[in-house]
Amino acid sequence: MNQTPPAAPAMTPEVPWGRVRPARRNADRLMKIIATAFTLVAITVLFWILGMLVVKGIGGLSAGTFTQVTPGPGSEGGGLANAIVGSAVLTFLGIALATPIGVLAGTYLAEYGRGSKLANLIRFINDILLSAPSILIGLFVYVILVEPFRGYSGWAGGVALGIIAIPVIVRTTEDMLRLVPAPLREAGSALGAPPSVVITAITWRAAKSGMVTGILLALARIAGETAPLLFTALNNNFWFSPTLVGGVSNLPVTIYQFASAPYENWQQLAWAGSLIITVSILLLSLIARRIVRGGK
Amino acid sequence: MLSTLELSPQVLDAQAPIRIAVKNLDFYYGEHKALKNVNLSFRDRHVTALIGPSGCGKSTLLRIFNRIYSLYPEQRATGEVLLDGRNVISNDVDVNELRSRIGMVFQKPTPFPMSIYDNVAFGIRLYEKPPKSELDDRVEGALRRSALWDEVKDKLKSSGMGLSGGQQQRLCIARTIAQKPEVILFDEPTSALDPISTGKIEDLLEQLKSDFTIVIVTHNMQQAARVSQYTAFMYLGEVVEFDATNTIFMNPNKKQTQDYVTGRFG
Repeated sequence: MNQTPPAAPAMTPEVPWGRVRPARRNADRLMKIIATAFTLVAITVLFWILGMLVVKGIGGLSAGTFTQVTPGPGSEGGGLANAIVGSAVLTFLGIALATPIGVLAGTYLAEYGRGSKLANLIRFINDILLSAPSILIGLFVYVILVEPFRGYSGWAGGVALGIIAIPVIVRTTEDMLRLVPAPLREAGSALGAPPSVVITAITWRAAKSGMVTGILLALARIAGETAPLLFTALNNNFWFSPTLVGGVSNLPVTIYQFASAPYENWQQLAWAGSLIITVSILLLSLIARRIVRGGK
Repeated sequence: MLSTLELSPQVLDAQAPIRIAVKNLDFYYGEHKALKNVNLSFRDRHVTALIGPSGCGKSTLLRIFNRIYSLYPEQRATGEVLLDGRNVISNDVDVNELRSRIGMVFQKPTPFPMSIYDNVAFGIRLYEKPPKSELDDRVEGALRRSALWDEVKDKLKSSGMGLSGGQQQRLCIARTIAQKPEVILFDEPTSALDPISTGKIEDLLEQLKSDFTIVIVTHNMQQAARVSQYTAFMYLGEVVEFDATNTIFMNPNKKQTQDYVTGRFG
């Protein structure tokens, strides 16, 4: 280390700057401003809806909302107890029907049917079903489950909601399973595990959080569906039969009927019901996000 | 370069029986012929290395031995791969049983999303139902043999995904040897690991060859020289030269081999 450091070398000559024209810089800024502005518009609409729901809905909320049944035309007070329980039952029925079908169909598409013509056809049809108008599904179930039995029922409502949930679950299940890296499957097979064991013990487990999130998203989707219930579960102002035969009261159709009625207490309850549905869906989404994060 | 290669002590047992014999083997990815008339033999309880430039077919060859290629319908092999005298690429072989006899360790570590204990027990539970105490012993034994026990003995119930890359790879080796296979295939097992983890895995290979027949695919010629007793040099889907590792690296017969191992091409 006894060497003297060499003299600092001279700098290379300066090259003039100015390749970026001001017009490009301005266009760049403008793009950012436009994108931000439109984001604000979207967010404003969202918060407007939420704000209106809270302001108008909170006034209609009371202990009675959760304990009393929906009031008949012209009667005072009343609550949403039968509609809340009815909605919970219908949503549960729908998801209980859709989960095994959706998960297994999604598994077929991602694991067994990879690249096959049949799988491509099923995927195509599933995508159509995913965007089918829900009122059509209500009509379909009306024709196969309401007309033949000569009566509305909670079972028909559950089936209609289930049909709406199935394509959502099929899609998310397939997408999540496709994210599982191929070497993980190969490693399972390389130990001599048959495909059924590789799928149930390895790939499902690896994709678990995403698959559960898909099911919760489907749950949130059908919790607020109105159209498919109009012809199937119908709605009424009393406690439904435990056999679910006859109409089953539920929140979305109650909101639809009460909001357009001339009675003040009905309109109040419609807002309260909307708030309850929205908060429930919000909670479900938060749980879904937690699960996704927990799985990482 | 040749003189700096550190060759493993070459204990070749000329009497060692042949565990796997490959005869007139061709392999196709769809229409593309990836292996052409491969003939090789792999001696019991020796390490055989497959070397060659990318795309020469060495991994393809490895993936035939345990029929892992047959997960993909467009891939097919013709010819003979005899394991203990039985042609494993014929259709009447139960591929799952075959794979329980020929273990495989992959390039990237592939821990399953379950506890360390369950990872190692996975392969055992597939084909045996040992009592709990015996299962515990086998899991511990496999983790000890893969030099991982001391690092994980206090957290056997935690996820295998939480280990470092090198630990994950040793976990995969433990999982493979716990099943007591006859042959273990290594597909570039250290190419995703740091030098220290690589050294640990190479030490392991040396230990494992007393019980298993080992075939290793590697890009790293020093690694092939260090760990193997036999080496096959492959190029464009063909075996160019197959001999004792010392011969391949110090005194190869073919000019092409010489050029490759001295780094002149590839």
